[in-house]
Amino acid sequence: MDIVLQAIAFVFQWQNLAALLSGTIYGIVIGVLPGLGPSAGMALALPLVLKWHPATALIFMGALYKCSNYGGSLTAILVNTPGDASNAATILDGYPLCEKGKGGVALGISASAAMIGGLVGMVCLILCAPLLAEFALKFGPAEYFLTAILALSIIAAVVQGATIKGLIAAGMGLLLSTIGFDVITGQLRFTFGWAPIEDGIPLIQALVGLFAVTQALVLAQSAEAISRLTKLSGSFWEGVFTYFRHPMAIIRASAIGLFVGILPAVGQSSAGLLAWAEAKRESKHPETFGTGEPEGLLASETSTNACMPGDLVCTIALGIPGSVGAAIFLGVMIIFGIIPGPLVFAEKADVIYSLFVALVLSSFVVFILGATVARHLAAVTLLPNEIIVPSILVVSLLGSFAIRNMMPDVIISLVFGIVGYIMLRGGFTPIPLLLGLVLGEMVETNYHRALMISGGSYSIFFGSVICKILILLTILSLVGPYLGPFWKTLTQGEK
Amino acid sequence: MFKSARILVIVVAVCGFLWAPAFGADFPTKPIKLIVTAGAGGGEDTEARALAPFLEKHLGTQIMIENQTGAGGKIAFEKFQKVEPDGYTLITYTFPKSVIMEFQGKTGYRTKDFTPIAAWSRSSQLLVVHADAWKTFDEFLKAAKAKTLSGGLSGRGSTTHLMGLIALDELDIKANWVPYEGAAGSVTALAGKHLDFTICLSTSAVSLINAGKLRPLLLFSDKRDPYLPNVPIPKDLGFTMSFIPTLRGIEAPPNTPPAIVKILEDAIGKAAKEQGFLDVAKKRQIVLQPVSSKEFGKAVADVYTKIAKFQDMLKQ
Repeated sequence: MDIVLQAIAFVFQWQNLAALLSGTIYGIVIGVLPGLGPSAGMALALPLVLKWHPATALIFMGALYKCSNYGGSLTAILVNTPGDASNAATILDGYPLCEKGKGGVALGISASAAMIGGLVGMVCLILCAPLLAEFALKFGPAEYFLTAILALSIIAAVVQGATIKGLIAAGMGLLLSTIGFDVITGQLRFTFGWAPIEDGIPLIQALVGLFAVTQALVLAQSAEAISRLTKLSGSFWEGVFTYFRHPMAIIRASAIGLFVGILPAVGQSSAGLLAWAEAKRESKHPETFGTGEPEGLLASETSTNACMPGDLVCTIALGIPGSVGAAIFLGVMIIFGIIPGPLVFAEKADVIYSLFVALVLSSFVVFILGATVARHLAAVTLLPNEIIVPSILVVSLLGSFAIRNMMPDVIISLVFGIVGYIMLRGGFTPIPLLLGLVLGEMVETNYHRALMISGGSYSIFFGSVICKILILLTILSLVGPYLGPFWKTLTQGEK
Repeated sequence: MFKSARILVIVVAVCGFLWAPAFGADFPTKPIKLIVTAGAGGGEDTEARALAPFLEKHLGTQIMIENQTGAGGKIAFEKFQKVEPDGYTLITYTFPKSVIMEFQGKTGYRTKDFTPIAAWSRSSQLLVVHADAWKTFDEFLKAAKAKTLSGGLSGRGSTTHLMGLIALDELDIKANWVPYEGAAGSVTALAGKHLDFTICLSTSAVSLINAGKLRPLLLFSDKRDPYLPNVPIPKDLGFTMSFIPTLRGIEAPPNTPPAIVKILEDAIGKAAKEQGFLDVAKKRQIVLQPVSSKEFGKAVADVYTKIAKFQDMLKQ
């Protein structure tokens, strides 16, 4: 307890508070800028902080890393362009809310989610990081494979209402995820000699296409402008109140985000998507998801914000980074002489707990910035569509270029734009495609690895306790929706 | 505003044109672009960014770092093959990944053609096991001969894979290779006891080794690692083995004039000795070893013959 009090006292020194505030603001700006994620942000800021006190520098970097996600959600909500892969699900309900003129509400929800999701994640990180890290180590290839299958089973809920078309889209996503270098066999698959897709379909570039470009095409085609409301309805604080009216949804989304974050081999982009899909399944009105449903935004945002502290669990407690951003944060820690690993809590407790205290504080800083500065950004959505949509197109394609400094990435976005447009015309939703694309590689490579380790024996898939639990959950997730009505028929008889 | 900007551009262009004939004699006269073939913040990028300010000091010009990721650097290498060899565009990467790529499939470049300038650090692969498993390399070897063990790799066709193949060949054992994407995956799986051993760079496993969760058994090098002084090398145990050293250095495009190479080589050599760079290297446990243009060139030639021997196995 002493160490925590010391850490609090340390963080409240003026230079550390300044580092916290500037790191938070810098992180949000980096998140807002297209094509710049937390990784590039930290690399660019490194020379600046190199001479600082290690703890102060880490507070700056940690705040930057943690809050860039909020910046990314601002652009996802307001201009339909995710700042980073972790904001993939934010656009699903965030942007439609803006179209309804409820930009303020959406910003209120996202700021609350940044605070609550971040806080829940941080509390778990502080209280039981070493324990959670031990848990993560129990996940081998077989467990990862079953986790991915469980996640895929959620698609069944997403596609409700248009099952066949949804499954077709999910299948397409899975097929697309096989493109590129196969990690296991070392073969290039379906690249047709085109180097830009050798690493697989780049996710943000595909997202820009499926959402921003598709929307521009829809607008270009309709003769009259799709005019939006001329006035904003609903304020930032209405969004905040909406958020806190759903405590159960918040808990579920935080748990999913934390779980995804803790497992080093599960991509952060899936945190938001899975929480969104789960919220849709639990909802009494699933049909409103994707059309500007506050609960959908709540779930995806809370989950992504809880995911980041989860990601730091293995990074700090084991020295194993769970994402590119975490890998860079790990590098930064090493440069300042703090070697993450099981020993760090004993050897460098002062620095680590100062960092934790600062990150908890930064959750509040983000909310305050959201409530005072960012909420005015909702006015952007009042611009007429003829102006805003082409601007979105320019900004998002620029972002798509800037990620790897490559023109072919813009072509990828345009192709996905056309695909998205055709899907929309045919009554398909792109969300199952996105889930397939995100989860496909995890299913495939871990299936392969598990069988390589077991020497071809399938018993590895139900050997451990975790495997058995995952299989049970998957079965429940698939048949669950039918159990309720079935039970009713049994007890009340056929009507 | 725009008018003045245009005038500035013209002035700069004219100056550049006027200075151009003096080329070679007083190189460099404009900023140098340094291409990093991995994303911002990784090992490659961090070393380049740590060295850049000191390189700027000794060259008297600005160094602009550009990250060209994509297909593990292949896209950057292919572009680099056709770059003007004027010394103003350089590349840094973890050698020999470009050579391995050439053996794995068709590439539009040849590492042999590039002009090596200098390298500053080398790293060696490490054989790591779980601390609950074998205590010494001999115990490991006995177990590996009795049954086929599962070994983690940081990627099929990576330098760890190549080193693993060479080691197995010379130790006369077989292994069941399980490729991951990067060392983080294979080290985690080893710590969770899902694998029997892993081959990785020492920096990827250092925290878990220090914490006593993993145990390093053998360093694939002809010299012990100063940061891991207790880990034996094959020579200590009576094995002769050839190694794939991993070098971090800078290369210029094909056919760069020797005068420019000399200027750059000297500057890199001096920059890598600056205290500021040494400090970063120590914290990241980078083993520094200056490699001249000539030695770098020899390493490139050597690695082709070594990899050719294992080409079929890499493709399996």
